[in-house]
Formats: sequence, C-alpha cells, structure tokens
Amino acid sequence: MATDRPLVLPGETIDPSLIPSHPKHPLRLGPGLRHIPPSDIVPTVAGQLITNPVKNSMWVEYNSQRYIPSVGDIVLAQILRSTTDFYLCTLSQHTAPATLPHLAFESATKKTRPNLAPGQLVYARVTLANKHMDPEVECVSAATGKAEGLGPITGPGCAFDVSLGFARRLLMARSAEDGGVGVLEMLGGEEGGGLAESARTVVVVGRALQETDRAGLGMEGQRRLVKKLVREMR
Amino acid sequence: MPREAEPSLNEKQFVTQALQENLRLDGREFDQYRPVELTFGDQHGVADVTLGKTRVLAKASAEVTVPYADRPLDGVFTIATELSPMASPAFEVNRPTETEVLLSRLLEKTVRRSGALDTESLCLVAGQKCWSVRVDVHVLSHDGNLIDASCLAVVAALRHFRKPDTSMEGGVLTVYTPAEREPVPLSWLHSPFCVTWSFFGEEADIALLDATWMEEQVRVGSCTVSLNKHGEICQIAKLGGTPVDAVVLLQCTSVALAKVKEFSELLDKRLAEDLKRRDKGGFMAELRAENDR
Repeated sequence: MATDRPLVLPGETIDPSLIPSHPKHPLRLGPGLRHIPPSDIVPTVAGQLITNPVKNSMWVEYNSQRYIPSVGDIVLAQILRSTTDFYLCTLSQHTAPATLPHLAFESATKKTRPNLAPGQLVYARVTLANKHMDPEVECVSAATGKAEGLGPITGPGCAFDVSLGFARRLLMARSAEDGGVGVLEMLGGEEGGGLAESARTVVVVGRALQETDRAGLGMEGQRRLVKKLVREMR
Repeated sequence: MPREAEPSLNEKQFVTQALQENLRLDGREFDQYRPVELTFGDQHGVADVTLGKTRVLAKASAEVTVPYADRPLDGVFTIATELSPMASPAFEVNRPTETEVLLSRLLEKTVRRSGALDTESLCLVAGQKCWSVRVDVHVLSHDGNLIDASCLAVVAALRHFRKPDTSMEGGVLTVYTPAEREPVPLSWLHSPFCVTWSFFGEEADIALLDATWMEEQVRVGSCTVSLNKHGEICQIAKLGGTPVDAVVLLQCTSVALAKVKEFSELLDKRLAEDLKRRDKGGFMAELRAENDR
C-alpha cells in the first residue's frame, strides 16, 4: 500500500519513476498537482500521490476542510431563495451560493417547473465551476434530458456531515476494496441483520459513517462498530 | 455579516420526527450528556471543557485595582465571554450576537450574582486597593450547549485559580511573587452549574438535555436552570419559546440536580488529580536542584 501511494509534500520533487507514461494518452494532472513548464510536476498540497497508468493520470488525494466545486460532482445543495430565473443554493456552509436554473429539472417548462421552498435539499450535479465565479448546478442531464436520479429530495431525511476525503472514498466504485469503507455493506449484509426502513436505521447508518470518518477506522474496527450499533438499536 | 447556517427543511423534519420516536441523532438518551472532558492547563486558572464537539476554554486572572466608589469594601469580579469566528463564521469580533449576550448574562447571573465568589475577600485596602478577578471565556468549537460547557469551564477555572499572596505592614501593601510565597486560592463559597433543557414538539412535551447544534436549531424553547449540589437554585431562565407545563419543569429541575451532582463530583475529582500532579513531594523535593538522570 505504502509503495504505490507515496506521501508527497507541497513543493517536493516527484520521483520520475512514479509518473505514469503511456504511448497514446497525454498525461492528465488531477487536483493537488501543478505543471511548471517545461517539465516539472510539483505537488501543491500534502497527501497521497495516486497514479492511474491506464488513463495516464495522476493526482494527490488529501483531506481538506473546504469543498471546492468541480464540474461533474454530484452534490447535495440546500435552497436559499428563489430569484426570477434561478434558485440560489448552498453547497457548503458559509460559502458563495451556487445557482440552480428554474428550468434545470426534468421536463421543466416555465409553467411546470418545481416550486422549491427555502431550506429544501436538492440532489444536483455541478455544471460550472470556475475560479472567482459562482458555481452552477443542475438536476437534469443536458445530454439525455432525464433526471437520472437527481432532483429535489422530499420528505424527512437527514444529511450527515463527513469529511471530504471520506466522501470521496465512499464514492469509489469499489469502496470496500479501494477506499477501505465497508460500513454500508456491513449494515446491509449479515452484520446488519436486516435493518428495516425507519428513522432508527437512518440514525444508525449516519452514526456508523460519521464514527468511521472521525476515528479513521479500518475494516476490523468498522465491523466492531457495526456490531455495537446494531446491538444498541435492538 | 455572514448568517448562521441553518439546517435544511428535510433535516428539521427528520429530527422532530425521530424525537417523536424517542430517538436522537447521536443515539443518546434524552437526559444524557455527551462525554464531558475537563482538563487544566499548566498555569493555574486555565480550564478546558469538551462536551462532544463543543469546546470551551476559560482563563482566570487577577490584578490589583481601585475598587468602585460605591462599593469600597468589594473587589471586582468580571466574566468576559468571546465568541470568535473560530467557533462559527456567523460570529464576529466586537459585534455580539444574541447568543453571546445571552451566554454572558446567564454566566453573570449564575456565578456572579449567586455569590459563588466572596468578593469582599478580594478587598485589600478599603476604598483604595482591591483584587480584580477576571475570567475570559473562549469558545473554541461550537456544537451546541455552550451555556453548560462555559459555566463548567468558568467554575473550574476559578476553583483552580491561585492569586498571589499579599500582606499589609504599616500601611504598605506587598504582593508576593509565587517564588516568595505560595499563591492562595480564591475564597469560594459554592459551585453553581448550569443545566440547559431544550423542548421539542407542539406542546413542548419532549425535553432534551445537552442539545447539539442541530437540535438547538429545531427546538421550540429552552430553559436553563442553575443550581449547586445542595439543590439551591441560583436562577431559572426560560427566555421566550413555547410555554412549558409546570410539572415538566419540576421534573427537569430534579433531573438537573442529579446532573449537577455529577458535574460537582467530576470537578472535585479533576481538581484532586491536578493537585496530585502538581505536588512534587513537599517543600524539600521542590527545592531540590539535582535532576532525575
């Protein structure tokens, strides 16, 4: 693990053997790396250097406090207020609001657009994230015109705050193997013992996630935590 | 000025609904506090209270000043609270929010007006010289229930504090350094603690202890009871909100007494531990020059 994910510090020179080389694709730099012409690649943050030789890309994985929107991110936004053409919503607390056009919902026209109250949560995708500009989000895929699971979230529910790094680990396609987060699978599987859909379950899931994030639990620790939470719930 | 971030509608509904099902977001009982941590600094009079994610630091200090003209026999005792932007971006320096004003008023009523500190003992020369004791409360992290945490921190800091020893000889006042004479503790009469209840539901029939920030945003009313371990109530503050049944309030006060006894025990225990830590084994051991090589 330690060898294929080396720790880098800002300004450090990266060992050339770590930089992937691919005959066809150009090298793609992700967050936390900066290209200084002609040929230097310098990390700008401290974190784990991750490389993908297939896609010929590399980036630094780190756990920051502030969410910086980037295009394509799926986010949970909270409506602040409505203006003539768009809703203003917050992606993270105490940052500049993002805009959500009234017509950026599935089959929305001027007459059928959804009416959202301030405080309502919407599940949205970031479409515009430029520096020094307010970000823009949408609840419909521009290509297909379908919601694809995005849209306003109705009914009582809870959003649990976790760190950004943890959220990214959860989003990994194989989060248990690559990210080391298996609480959700455990709760859904045998250890969970068939949780019913209730407020109690939501609380247990939220606590499991937050505790795993806070204490940085490994797989064994997560298994113990899930057992403890399920026992408490009964 | 940045506004306080609000939880979303969905979350508000969820918290209320879960409370109807006897469920809190962090899985606690309704009358259960988050784990309370109390540590003292290296200096005398520094107390650090952690209540879940809420963290409050209180520092007591003393200086010699002139007493107020209308109270020549009393010392000066002030509590200064500061909610810095570190705790939440909604707080600004030099612009007190309602939370801050309420917090300082409640601390003032609980600790100062209840006569916990004997201010007459702070007088050095009547009408000319007295001690001015000041406690600074710094909120380092805000996750609800600032009042209880701050009150515990203030009382702990004052009980831990030592002021320099003084003597009067022939009209000359001498203040001794810690090297000359051991500093002396304040003349402390009783230890009041705050216990804050938050009320939920249409008729405020659900009462919660130690509400988190999220619960504080959803509650319909709150009530702070200050009392000491003997059950002597210093103040009850129920500032607005939905009216609460008298029977519920009575139950709240009796539970509050049990909690205050726990706080009191915790503080006594931590003070004793700190004393033991500082005790190097008597005067001779303290003067010893050799090191433990």
